[in-house]
Amino acid sequence: MAGGPDCQQALALLQDYLKQELTPELMARITTHLRRCRHCFTHLKFEESFLTMLETKAKGQCCPERLRLRILAALRGTPEP
Amino acid sequence: MTSAPPDRESFEAEVLPQLDSLYRLALRLTTDPTRAEDLVQDTVLKAFRSWQRFQPGTNIRSWLFTILRNTFINEYRRRQREPIPMDLETIEPYATFRGTDEEDPEGTFFSQIVDGKVLEAIDALPEDFREVLVLSDVENLSYAEIAGVLGLPVGTVKSRLFRARRQLQRALYDHAVEMGYLRKVPGAR
Repeated sequence: MAGGPDCQQALALLQDYLKQELTPELMARITTHLRRCRHCFTHLKFEESFLTMLETKAKGQCCPERLRLRILAALRGTPEP
Repeated sequence: MTSAPPDRESFEAEVLPQLDSLYRLALRLTTDPTRAEDLVQDTVLKAFRSWQRFQPGTNIRSWLFTILRNTFINEYRRRQREPIPMDLETIEPYATFRGTDEEDPEGTFFSQIVDGKVLEAIDALPEDFREVLVLSDVENLSYAEIAGVLGLPVGTVKSRLFRARRQLQRALYDHAVEMGYLRKVPGAR
């Protein structure tokens, strides 16, 4: 049931869970809860949608070619360290 | 353990593949493409001059991000009006999630928002939040790596990331409501 101690723990650890920065035991425990609890599972999906969006949209920007060339020229004009 | 003396070739092989990441971080920090380009170039040249000090096998990205951020702080940062962090203490931590709970519980509206708007919303975050968010959620650094780059305790990194994500979600939610991707749920705020 949403709001129980398992839900509270899952929510408190959701950020660390998504970054996969929990011990394997805790990762497994939260996964088990998320499979069983619709409310927490939806919350996980919401956070995942946000993170996927963020990564795809913000990663669209690349170093412009002219900057790459400018850096290469600067490097090759610089004496070896 | 011995290693080959650092040279231009090894430097270019390690560093040039990171230019996209460096440029993205520089853009988010300076919020200005011209200054971002200068910052990336300065960073790469500084890294080249201290290439002897880079320990092979350690994380090249963290090392470069650290140089870039220090260069930004020392030479590029303009004392500007900093955006004010939302007072997150007074609102429920997952207000945005609750706000979309009935209509779009899984947050599919996020993918409808155009790239430029997302970047604009990131740039509107306070700098402390922005840098943590970019390092974590765009460049995929771990808490420990981010803590190393920013010179902060891991606990501070975690709490800033939490707050940065909440503030960005809120801003994107408001934008989605404004654009009509979502209906405003009464009492969502």
